[in-house]
Amino acid sequence: MRKLKVAIIGSGNIGTDLLIKVLRSPLLECKAFIGRNLSSAGMVKASSLGVTVSAEGIDYILKNPDCCDLVFDATSAKSHLEHAPILKKLNKLAIDLTPAKIGLMSVPSVNLTDSLAESNINMITCGGQASIPVAYAIGQTQTDVEYIEVVSSIASRSAGPATRQNLDEYIKTTEDGLKEFSGAKRTKAILNLNPAEPCVDMQATIFAKVKNPDIPKLSEVLLGLVAKIREYVPGYEIILGPIVENDRIVVMARVRGLGDYLPAYAGNLDIINCAAIAMAEEYARALPKTGSDK
Amino acid sequence: MNDRRIIISDPTLRDGNHAVRHELSVEQIAAYCKAADAAGVSIVEVGHGNGLGASSLQLGEARTPDHLALSTARANLTKSKLGIHVIPGFATIERDLKPALELGVDVVRVASHCTEADICERHIGFARSMGVEVWGCLMMSHMISPALLLEQARKMESYGAEGVVFMDSAGHYLPDDVRQRVELLASELSIAVGFHGHNNLGLAIANTIAAADAGATLLDACARGFGAGAGNTQIEVLVAVLERLGYSTGINLYKILDAADLAEKTLMKEVPTIKSVSVVSGMAGVFSGFMRPVTRIAQEFNLDPRDIFFELGRRKIVAGQEDIILEVAKDLALRATKGNQ
Amino acid sequence: MKLHCQDITRLDCLRVLNGRQKGLEQLRQSELVVIGGTGFVGTWIAEMVAALNDEYQFGISLSLISRSTDQFRSRLPHLANRADIKLIKSDVRQLGKFPMEADWVIHAATNPDVRTHASNPLDTASVIVDGTMSVVKTAERLSRLKKLLYLSSGLVCGAQPALVNGLAENAPGAPPPDASFMYPNAKRFAETICSAARAQSRIPVLVARPFSFIGPYQSLDTPWAQTTFLADALRGKAIRVLGDGQVVRSYLYGSDAAFWFLKIVSTGESGDVVNVGSPVGVTLQDLAKEVAKNFNPSPEIMFNTSPRNIGKSAHLLPDTTHAKNKYELSVFTPLEDAIKLTAQWHLIQSK
Repeated sequence: MRKLKVAIIGSGNIGTDLLIKVLRSPLLECKAFIGRNLSSAGMVKASSLGVTVSAEGIDYILKNPDCCDLVFDATSAKSHLEHAPILKKLNKLAIDLTPAKIGLMSVPSVNLTDSLAESNINMITCGGQASIPVAYAIGQTQTDVEYIEVVSSIASRSAGPATRQNLDEYIKTTEDGLKEFSGAKRTKAILNLNPAEPCVDMQATIFAKVKNPDIPKLSEVLLGLVAKIREYVPGYEIILGPIVENDRIVVMARVRGLGDYLPAYAGNLDIINCAAIAMAEEYARALPKTGSDK
Repeated sequence: MNDRRIIISDPTLRDGNHAVRHELSVEQIAAYCKAADAAGVSIVEVGHGNGLGASSLQLGEARTPDHLALSTARANLTKSKLGIHVIPGFATIERDLKPALELGVDVVRVASHCTEADICERHIGFARSMGVEVWGCLMMSHMISPALLLEQARKMESYGAEGVVFMDSAGHYLPDDVRQRVELLASELSIAVGFHGHNNLGLAIANTIAAADAGATLLDACARGFGAGAGNTQIEVLVAVLERLGYSTGINLYKILDAADLAEKTLMKEVPTIKSVSVVSGMAGVFSGFMRPVTRIAQEFNLDPRDIFFELGRRKIVAGQEDIILEVAKDLALRATKGNQ
Repeated sequence: MKLHCQDITRLDCLRVLNGRQKGLEQLRQSELVVIGGTGFVGTWIAEMVAALNDEYQFGISLSLISRSTDQFRSRLPHLANRADIKLIKSDVRQLGKFPMEADWVIHAATNPDVRTHASNPLDTASVIVDGTMSVVKTAERLSRLKKLLYLSSGLVCGAQPALVNGLAENAPGAPPPDASFMYPNAKRFAETICSAARAQSRIPVLVARPFSFIGPYQSLDTPWAQTTFLADALRGKAIRVLGDGQVVRSYLYGSDAAFWFLKIVSTGESGDVVNVGSPVGVTLQDLAKEVAKNFNPSPEIMFNTSPRNIGKSAHLLPDTTHAKNKYELSVFTPLEDAIKLTAQWHLIQSK
């Protein structure tokens, strides 16, 4: 099978973790690992793995437009707003891992086909990736979904300055995503940073107010969805529910990361990266089978 | 040491909401605001127990939505300032803080768990840019050392907070703990220091006095101690004690006693007392606001609520993580059945 | 002959552990990493871990990261060849291979040689500052990290004021921003990096400030009083003391130091700063006399007659109240025993 050529812009911990996942994938090939500082830990790691590195930022892709067909952007919202039009012009697929989110919200287990039709997709938020499949299942199986609320809890150590300065964006994006995929009339997202040691894995609790809760139906659909999710996020698990408690549907999901480069408790960061890889692999699978490699 | 002026901030209508499942009504808000205003309380804090935008299934849905609570309070406060408690992660600037400021809020207290001050940067910055008085609040402060508390307080200071309040959310402190922290913060920060006490171990007044003596200039207190768990520092008692100690609060003693009488009659189903479960949560250092869900879930799972509290304390669960209580109960119940086999 | 040397250090560790090993319980079955692990501190920690594992079945897995693993392997096979000790050759500034399952990390990578500090202040800065940045970046990725302990220096608070009996951790004062003070300034900055790592990345990090040590594994080639006096005596020469010998220092023995560091890393709180050293001062004159006692015939002690600023404070003593109150740490090996053991060890080594 022909491998999809990808580049990663953003050589921090997230970009480096993504790189390791790309290298492991039979469908993807990393042609460039791009950042701003050749001596950063990520760049050094990439070099040691034999990957081409560059400190030229987006210019590298402008100078070498044939190097890749898909770009993972793990930089910042501001930078992605600069990169997106350039990538569009160059006809590159863009997977946006920043808070910019100008393209389609994508959850591989839920809207795969729609996502494949787009050239700029984003992975929403960690809480979104963890809870939207559940919200979607609720939307599919319950009548009159009045309200969905998601409370995400992540290890304090997994939330860097970028997360902390963008809590409001996180909340809004997650709420929008929940509404979009569940059809709920109202949604609410809450984010807790838990400083407990040892570090806690990511957890998301989904509450739903629906007219006549049908748990067996929900369980059935959820089971199928979770199986799909675990194909690309092996550490995803429903640890409670679905049950009805205090007049509302409650489901609790836990995500443990793969620990490729990020610590294993950072399931929140891992689920985004896993989802991004899953989408890239789907783009790869959709490549025309005929024609030789360039 | 020379200036004996103390600002009293009264969260009866905010912390007290915890005690009544956030069901304070427009009428109750109006009535107490009038009484507190007449008594000369500096700041009256109003809202859901967990602050602006916190009405949720996770934390309990408020009977009176934020905008109504705040507009009612605003209409009934003339001399007293209207304050709100804001936790980033629950409240957003666009959806919650901006509209609140438009309703006439005077004081914004941006709060985080004691180790997470940096999530407050943007909310503090926004409130500052809107010209209102901004304080930083560090919750569950007993969970870190004084040195680390100072580190977090310094962050708040750098973001533009005019003062930092550290909270004894679990009612865990002894007076010496409070004195040590206030002394450190007061000597190292150039902004004001405040203290918020809870009464689980019967020490709220003593702790608050220790704070004042060590240099705190803002103290939180509620009518009859109306608040989460075992309740807060009792405002009418505090005013009396502060008067005896030669501090000036600007509060009229008789009128605050009247306000407390009114609060007892109008706001609460029962006056806060220290129940056994509160002693345990105070000792375990767990957020007082967990009392209701823990008691309820303990019943459901046929467990001793005290065991759940100690386990939550052991896991260092923070406020806002009520969903973990279910998990803990499941775990304990499983262990109990295994033990019986 | 080497066997006898091993006995000395093993007995030292057992003596210090006797009745105190319970204080290190947290270390059982854990992964400990020492960066800069082949220096004085790293070697003594290795000795202590070996004793804990052999005598008390602690099951600690120790990794020593250093540029000098080859020399360590050839000099100290009794440690290097142990199954529970791994050697990883790496520069602290480029930590490639790192045990990702680490529970405890002690960052002791530094060159304490004052001659290097004087001749190569920029290199000194790089190892300390870039090295600490690198450690902190690596720590961000350790899932199981319970504590990172940074070994700073007792010199970060600058000179000890004349009227002060011992420098406490919160002593005001800092070294002058001068190339001659590159080492303490770089250490001070590295402490700040650690504090920032906690503030920004939530790394549970605490700081120990080592003062002066004495014991086997300290190279006699270094220009410190305790090493030069011993070197002189071993060479059968007179012990030469610079100045009038009234400067006051203190010395903590190697096995004591290892115990102190292990207790601090495993029971300390993030954000803590602890002095590590002996609070018991000794004048250089008395130190020289004590060293001389261990040799037969006893060497002469000569004082340098060049005028020095007598009275100008060059004392360096830690105030260890905090170590005592919080960690129950004190001097376990009195100075005269420490000197005796060290002299003995070197005498055997030289045979």
